Amino acid sequence: MTAIRIAGGCVHDPANDVDGEVSDVCIEGGKVVADVGPDARRIDARGMVVMPGGVDIHAHIAGPKVNAARRLTPDERRDDPVDGTELLRSGTGGLVPSTFATGYRYSLLGYTTVVEAAAPPLAARQVLSELRDTPMIDKAFLILMGNNQVLFELIRESGGAVSPQLRDAVAWWLDATGGYGVKLVNPGGVELFKQDNGNVHSLDDEVAGFAVTPRQVLEAIGGAVDELGLPHPVHIHANNLGVPGNADTTLETMRTVSGRQAHFAHLQFHCYGGRPERGAGAMRSRAPELLDYLASHPEVTADVGQVMFGPAVTMTADGPLSAVLRDLGGDKWLNHDTEVETGCGIVPYRYRSSNYVHALQWGIGLELFLLGRDPWQVMLSTDHPNGGSFLSYPKLIRLLMDRAYREDQIGRANPRAIRRTALLDGLDREYTLNEIAIITRAAPARRLGLLDKGHLGIGADADVTIYHDRADREEMFATPRYVIKGGELAVEEGELRRSDDGLLLSGRAGFDPEVERVLEPLFGDRYTVAFEHYPVRDPALREPARIVEARS
Amino acid sequence: MAERATLGPVTCAGCGLLCDDVSVDLSGEAVRLHPSCPLGAQWFAERVRRPADAPMATVDGEPAELEAALARAAELLRRARRPLLYGFEGSTVEDARAAVALADRIGALVMTGSPAGPWPGAPALPLRGASTATLGEIRDRSRVVVIWREDPETSHPRLLERLGFGAGGGAHRTLVVVDARETPTTARATLRLRWPGTRDLEALVTLHAVQRDRPPASSDIHEQLVTLMEHVRDAPHVAFLYGPGLTDGEGGQRRALALHELSRALSHERHVVTLALAPAAGTIGAQEVLTWQTGYAGNVDLASGHPELLVATQPIDGVDVALRIEGAAAALADGVVTIALGDRPDADCEIWIRTAAPGVHAAGTAHRLDGVPLALQAPLAGDAPTAAALLEQLLSEVVR
Repeated sequence: MTAIRIAGGCVHDPANDVDGEVSDVCIEGGKVVADVGPDARRIDARGMVVMPGGVDIHAHIAGPKVNAARRLTPDERRDDPVDGTELLRSGTGGLVPSTFATGYRYSLLGYTTVVEAAAPPLAARQVLSELRDTPMIDKAFLILMGNNQVLFELIRESGGAVSPQLRDAVAWWLDATGGYGVKLVNPGGVELFKQDNGNVHSLDDEVAGFAVTPRQVLEAIGGAVDELGLPHPVHIHANNLGVPGNADTTLETMRTVSGRQAHFAHLQFHCYGGRPERGAGAMRSRAPELLDYLASHPEVTADVGQVMFGPAVTMTADGPLSAVLRDLGGDKWLNHDTEVETGCGIVPYRYRSSNYVHALQWGIGLELFLLGRDPWQVMLSTDHPNGGSFLSYPKLIRLLMDRAYREDQIGRANPRAIRRTALLDGLDREYTLNEIAIITRAAPARRLGLLDKGHLGIGADADVTIYHDRADREEMFATPRYVIKGGELAVEEGELRRSDDGLLLSGRAGFDPEVERVLEPLFGDRYTVAFEHYPVRDPALREPARIVEARS
Repeated sequence: MAERATLGPVTCAGCGLLCDDVSVDLSGEAVRLHPSCPLGAQWFAERVRRPADAPMATVDGEPAELEAALARAAELLRRARRPLLYGFEGSTVEDARAAVALADRIGALVMTGSPAGPWPGAPALPLRGASTATLGEIRDRSRVVVIWREDPETSHPRLLERLGFGAGGGAHRTLVVVDARETPTTARATLRLRWPGTRDLEALVTLHAVQRDRPPASSDIHEQLVTLMEHVRDAPHVAFLYGPGLTDGEGGQRRALALHELSRALSHERHVVTLALAPAAGTIGAQEVLTWQTGYAGNVDLASGHPELLVATQPIDGVDVALRIEGAAAALADGVVTIALGDRPDADCEIWIRTAAPGVHAAGTAHRLDGVPLALQAPLAGDAPTAAALLEQLLSEVVR
């Protein structure tokens, strides 16, 4: 494999306490090494910024909901064709790009690892197939477990405690699907929506027919993930997303999983004050309270889920949420109920700077970034494409790094909304390059348990992004000078130089195979798929892969 | 190698239901399935009872070596001005992935519907969306199931059983069948509604109006519509099953749209889902692949170097070479040269290359009509390559 010396760059490698040090980074055999021989290719990085490849901890890039969104929005992609070449496949871009275009565009942005954050286990074959067709990046997916009827049965039997059977079942599901980690979306609420358009509104509402509560689901499955020692902690999309006053639910959810490792998805959507009965017009920010909680609970992390003004496509396993968006005026609405496991809703959307709620959401996202004390705890995401495309990350970075630009943008947003945030309180923080490196690669990689990623220490994966050090940070982060993936030059000056499959990253924990004797009858009563045919074992779908083992 | 007497349980790709609990009994003269299904038995019989001297390929109707047939096919595709890839009714996801890769390279049209035009109802989805569900959701939750001008007892023989309307099932549920014909499915209905298909749009629009408490002037089907709405209003969960019976022919897209508009309107008071009864096992998977690889479902033109979506009204002109993949022959214009990849000989093609039958001689993935991706097994050994392998070979030949 290629040996490369990246010479004289300004290196930002916060995981190794390197903050803007001018040094060489050497690569050989797909890994960062101490030195390379004189024949190594030399990349002159003088005057440039060198960082580990970007790691997206929460995005939606593959699986049935993503593909349904593509089908739902052909017009949105018509003006963004991606031509094929002898090296590259054709496709379409837009907010929900085709698979090949997704891989290419992440790579061109300097990202080398991406997590699909919500996959129905029953659809694992499709998720794996789509990820096989998503080149250039390493990728993982989280499997949805917060509304799984079989797990509800196990939780009810254990009285809400973490039982050995539940632990084994969680590990079995990862093994059966190739998933990396566990996602809980509106625990209990999606099941009630599928019954008769219901939902849960508090952590102690009972899920009809199962005699379990969201709190028990959080405690039991979150606890099982923690006890298994999976590389990534339970990844939570809390109840009451988007509802005025939902900060109470979010704080209560955090307290419920207190003392255990947990990651909260798109926290911005869960930081609202106000009361449901007073409507969205009375909604306000409670981001500072959530940040206070994080500051005293280092076991909890979050990604922001920043909304960006402009078009978006909301896609979520939170079916009842999507029905609300439909009723807010969504021209198009797609709902899909997956037996036993989950739901799905899709509504194309547009965030408008003049709209009170949208501007408030935008402002709350910025509050989370700017008021947060520890960038290792609050990571960058737009919940692509829910808050906006991943292609808007450079603009978001500029908002964080460039106060004058940010203030100009604040001046264009709904003033009543902005007044209900801390953005007018002399918030002069500007992120440093090292902080950007933390929230876009080092912290996500560490939180995912990807010890070989997100840093440039000896033995790390040779995933490296090299930027021109431009004053315009949006331009800088939109067009890396070089991207090296797995030790090979993937991107040079905005052009893809090679096509690479990338790896599937799967999580694994040991389990007692006898759990299948427990699961099989529960499957038989509920699924319309035979238990023996449910697991996906095909090497063609599961490889090439890297298995990340649980901490024993 | 001695043939085993019983295979399974395996997934049957005989229709879009993809029942994966099937045992195949090969001990007698006739192939029998358990659970019983005439369509599945016929499907397996056609694939496991192959003449021992079946050729690997034919060129101009004469037996040919595989390599020679492939070389000729590659040459035809390389020189094609306007190549078309179509079929897919019996393909796997893996076949479709390889097909779209080839189409991308040679700038072909890809049609996952018929070359005569896509399923007219399909384009309704991008207009407003839909509410859909997997079989288990409908089985366990829908108190009212409305089958709209389809006869699944014939087209998908185990559908009603799998939706909980088997022997002794469905006692507290209502099976509504909209159909003027007498069919095996109408015989199962607890509520029958009769009007001709030409009045389906009127019926759907009227139901929508009734739902909004704005009933239009009465007509001779008004009473039936009110009865249907009474059943729907009493149910917390309702499913509408439909297919080409509603959406084929002129105005099909409008009728499909009307059904989705109705289900969306009804969804405010109860949970309502729809399920399209796709007839073929391979079509859904091919459409999924085409969507994720190009961004568009249905029929896509790659001639300009990137995907362009073809809509139903666009004529398909100028095709000179057609590559049919695991599908039935379609009427093409005179002079079109056809290459077929399939598990059964086709003397009407210039080139036919035998493939391992998915679900019998080849494993892979297929999508059930509700979208669930399932494994197809290969319970019998075969000597032919998969369509995916052939397509990959063709791609490497074409770009050489």
